[in-house]
Amino acid sequence: MKDVLRMAWILGVVTVLAAAVLGAVNHVAKPRIEEQRRLALEQALLSALPKADPRAIVPVYEGDEIVYYKGYAQPDTTGLVGYAFVARGAGYSSEIETLVGVDTTGQIIGLKILREVETPGLGTKIEEVRYGEKDPWFQRQFIGKRARQLAVDKDGGEIVSVTGATISSRAVTNSIRKGLEELEKRLGGFSKTAQQVSD
Amino acid sequence: MSVGKEFTKGLYAENPVFKQALGLCPTLAVSNSVRNAVGMGLAMTFVLVLSNIIVSLIRRFVPRKIRIPIYIVVIATFVTIVDLVMAGFAPDLHKALGIFVPLIVVNCIILGRAEAFAGRNSVFRSLLDGLGMGFGFSLALFVLAFIREILGDGRLYGFPLLGPGFEPMLIMILPPGAFLTIGLLMGLMNWLDKRRCS
Repeated sequence: MKDVLRMAWILGVVTVLAAAVLGAVNHVAKPRIEEQRRLALEQALLSALPKADPRAIVPVYEGDEIVYYKGYAQPDTTGLVGYAFVARGAGYSSEIETLVGVDTTGQIIGLKILREVETPGLGTKIEEVRYGEKDPWFQRQFIGKRARQLAVDKDGGEIVSVTGATISSRAVTNSIRKGLEELEKRLGGFSKTAQQVSD
Repeated sequence: MSVGKEFTKGLYAENPVFKQALGLCPTLAVSNSVRNAVGMGLAMTFVLVLSNIIVSLIRRFVPRKIRIPIYIVVIATFVTIVDLVMAGFAPDLHKALGIFVPLIVVNCIILGRAEAFAGRNSVFRSLLDGLGMGFGFSLALFVLAFIREILGDGRLYGFPLLGPGFEPMLIMILPPGAFLTIGLLMGLMNWLDKRRCS
């Protein structure tokens, strides 16, 4: 009995000490981790809505959740240039999150993959930047497209999938198409003509 | 055993991957690119050295019956520290290593060294043992990743090396490529050892 109590006491002390150390580290690291997430999202928003003013990309909430972002050309939130939303789809080994920017007519103007943990060297090629190029070739294909054009080549669509990574390619493509359709519903349809922005 | 040997034994003679065949799961998974291998090797070395030091420090107070849960708490603490610090200060590396950082907790090399060495030896020797094993693991990952990334992707440390004319051997960056490479390297080492003996 005495032995059991002694062991429980020692194990208790060890775990309390470990918890204290972790609490301290978390206290230091947490703001940094949130800062990194914020920076990543901010950068992605800028590349998804290149014509929007960095200070005029505002989130639109539904309940507590951000459902999409509105991007304006001017800092005083005038001159709507488009919307951005996060598309999520199950890939081969992870959920792939893509931030997508569209203009007011529903045409894709920019996108950035926020998170993926696909097979290195295959699925991760959805983010591959070819030698001498500036942006990832797979994602570039989406620019200028609308929801109805979004399907990978194997499904009869216009998006050329990454060799050996049809599942990852399909996940990105289909999640973006679904996201676009949802956005269209939320907005009650995209506008027929692009808004003229003077800049 | 001399103090210097405590360090160097991990590099070749008792290399955790090639000689002890421990920790093969993360080895197979993250040795597909040199960048991942280096990051994983450093994370492992950090955890291994610190857990060895702490386990050696507390070895006299730890009752034999509950040593394993205590080792696991110590190891999990350091792994969580690495995970948090990496997420905050090296987000790209954290993203690339993914699930394999938290999985260091169950890497048998670390528990193996705590049980077989640090729980029975002085702090200084345990530190050297941790460093040696950590570097030995990193070295093994690096060699594997070097071979696999070049053959399987035509790149080295993410930079195109073999040019666009090279058709990458996809199998090399997938798990079978790791099995093949580890097997061939182990065979080569055994052959060398045998030749040196005779």
